[in-house]
Amino acid sequence: MTVPAMERLVRAARDTRGYVAAWRAAHPDGKVLGVMPMNFPRELAHAAGLLPVIVPDDQEPVTEGRALLPEFYCGFTRNLADQVATGRLDLYDAVFMADHCIQLVGAADVARQLQPETPVFFGMLATSLSDAWAGQKVAEMMNTFREEVEALSGSKVTDESLRASIAAYNADRRALRQIFDERTAGSTAWAPTELQDLVASAMVMDPVEHLALLELARAEKVGQPRDERVRVHLSGHMCHAPRRELLQVIEDSGALVVDDDLWTGRRFLSTDVDEVLEPMEAIGHWYTSRNGNLPCPTRVQHDADWDTWLVESTERSGAEAVIHLMPKFCEPHMLLYPELRKRLDAEGIAQLLIETEHEGIPLEAFRTRVEALVERVLRKRPAYA
Amino acid sequence: MTTRHYLGVDLGSTTAKAVVIDGLGGIAASSTIAMGAVSRRGMQRAIDAALESAGLETAELSGTVSTGYGRKLVPGVQRTFTEITCHARGTSEMVPGVRLVIDVGGQDSKAITVGSDGLVDEFAMNDRCASGTGRFYEVLARALECEIDDLGALAMQGNDDLEISTMCATFAETEIVSLMAQDLPVADIASSVHRAIAARTLALVAQVGKRTPVVLTGGVARNPAAVHFLSRALRVEVGVPEQPQITGAYGAALLALEADQRGRPVQDVAGADHLFPRTSHDEPGHSCAGCDGNLAGPVDLGASIAVRR
Repeated sequence: MTVPAMERLVRAARDTRGYVAAWRAAHPDGKVLGVMPMNFPRELAHAAGLLPVIVPDDQEPVTEGRALLPEFYCGFTRNLADQVATGRLDLYDAVFMADHCIQLVGAADVARQLQPETPVFFGMLATSLSDAWAGQKVAEMMNTFREEVEALSGSKVTDESLRASIAAYNADRRALRQIFDERTAGSTAWAPTELQDLVASAMVMDPVEHLALLELARAEKVGQPRDERVRVHLSGHMCHAPRRELLQVIEDSGALVVDDDLWTGRRFLSTDVDEVLEPMEAIGHWYTSRNGNLPCPTRVQHDADWDTWLVESTERSGAEAVIHLMPKFCEPHMLLYPELRKRLDAEGIAQLLIETEHEGIPLEAFRTRVEALVERVLRKRPAYA
Repeated sequence: MTTRHYLGVDLGSTTAKAVVIDGLGGIAASSTIAMGAVSRRGMQRAIDAALESAGLETAELSGTVSTGYGRKLVPGVQRTFTEITCHARGTSEMVPGVRLVIDVGGQDSKAITVGSDGLVDEFAMNDRCASGTGRFYEVLARALECEIDDLGALAMQGNDDLEISTMCATFAETEIVSLMAQDLPVADIASSVHRAIAARTLALVAQVGKRTPVVLTGGVARNPAAVHFLSRALRVEVGVPEQPQITGAYGAALLALEADQRGRPVQDVAGADHLFPRTSHDEPGHSCAGCDGNLAGPVDLGASIAVRR
């Protein structure tokens, strides 16, 4: 019996190990590169013949890794440390990361310390994107990344192979964006957990294989008119997926997610790599332009701010409220949140802050809060004609 | 003379409250039953007591709304609302003009700002920590070996100048025992803990912004020391409704009344819910998850997107 495309995508999203094992079986000489979110250009690794997999929070409880990083580190980084401590990170032949946040650097250090046989490469990318020298520095680091993946794979990254990888990932992102646009437009009822699985599977799978399944899954999806629940925008979780059960509770509490800026959502899809520029130049340009398309509080750019993006996004999507999903304790998000809150207040957009945790999230308390937000919006809705 | 009556039920973590109101919003009867965590038996006893006191049968009710953590366990309701909405609604009716409601329940505490229209503006709830909730006061009373009803009077006799370093409901008990072992006056310990709890509540208020008038609701509002120290921490007078425990249930009953009024005939009630242009809960495109509840047919209280899709 043929397994439906959506089910295969869900499997890949939720069982990285299973997908990687199948890929290794089909590619006996292939190597799998674990990529830490959010800024490493997977196109380079793919062009070198590697399978670049963005290392997910596997949502397992933090056990042996508990002592490796302080409790005030976010759940994702502590989960990564736990993956190292329990041998779950041995899935990858190497782990690469581009500059991200100080907590994730800590997790990479744990990997380097406890798994010395696994190459761990950490490349700093310029975070101050308004500076004149940023582009040059980024280009230099992208070339270093290229050399590192070539050394790992033993294969050269040619302009031709890089163009092909760029085109493959762009096509997959475009198809995903189309699905997100349909959700926002209200023409197809994709649940947030479904969209999360679609994006999470894209982070794991080969892009060509993923795109083929994605198109099938989209064709399998039956159109459904939007109901009258309160339309919300999910904001936050910038480098890992929120818990599926939390997304479920949000929609079960009378909210309808119409848009987001989550890592496992619009943030991941925000920017394609230019297919006209020289490929290495395009890779650098991809990084320097992403923050303008969807701002991230870990980057500094004077002409880009998340609060303005958020307000404009709610205008486009018709979202009536914003639910902030802030992982404990994501410093960049925590530091920027007051700005977001003030701006949304000034714009009269209802909002709710939910601080998420890696495990033991109080779902019933969250349900009450989301329902209260929904009630608040409903009671202030204009009357139907 | 009005013949319509409405029931509001607040099934909380430690008590069940039921309020029956008449068609003008006046309280006809109320009951509060302490029965332990979200007890169905407690709920039924509270409902039965309120109905008996009002001289009504269930069939005579024109509407029922439930609230509280156990809101979806209440049989025969037309709608559930969160305790945040219900406390705001009930308190603004009991204390017209209220702008900040601080509700301290058995296991959670909330700060709710209320607009001039009596509707919720902002709200904040305590995290998973039980500090400052009714449960915490129970722990304190047990450690001090006094009855919960006597705790406030005891604290009012003390000086609040002892350092309380933890507000964890578990570790605070250890700390209190340690203070008692030092032969410190029990009244001083009680007052110091009340002061520390008030400071904790202040942090909750900071999340929504201080507004006045302030009203404290929930069972803890019957504790005079809790009111005193909260008032001192906020530097404003803190009011307490005559029946602070039933504001949620009363708000639920008022919402049942309003829903009934809007259901016949369709009319726009300023600041209240508006009818959806649908006729029944099972119509295509409708989800009872978070719906207004004012449609024909039964509400699916277990409505889930997972099931629907």
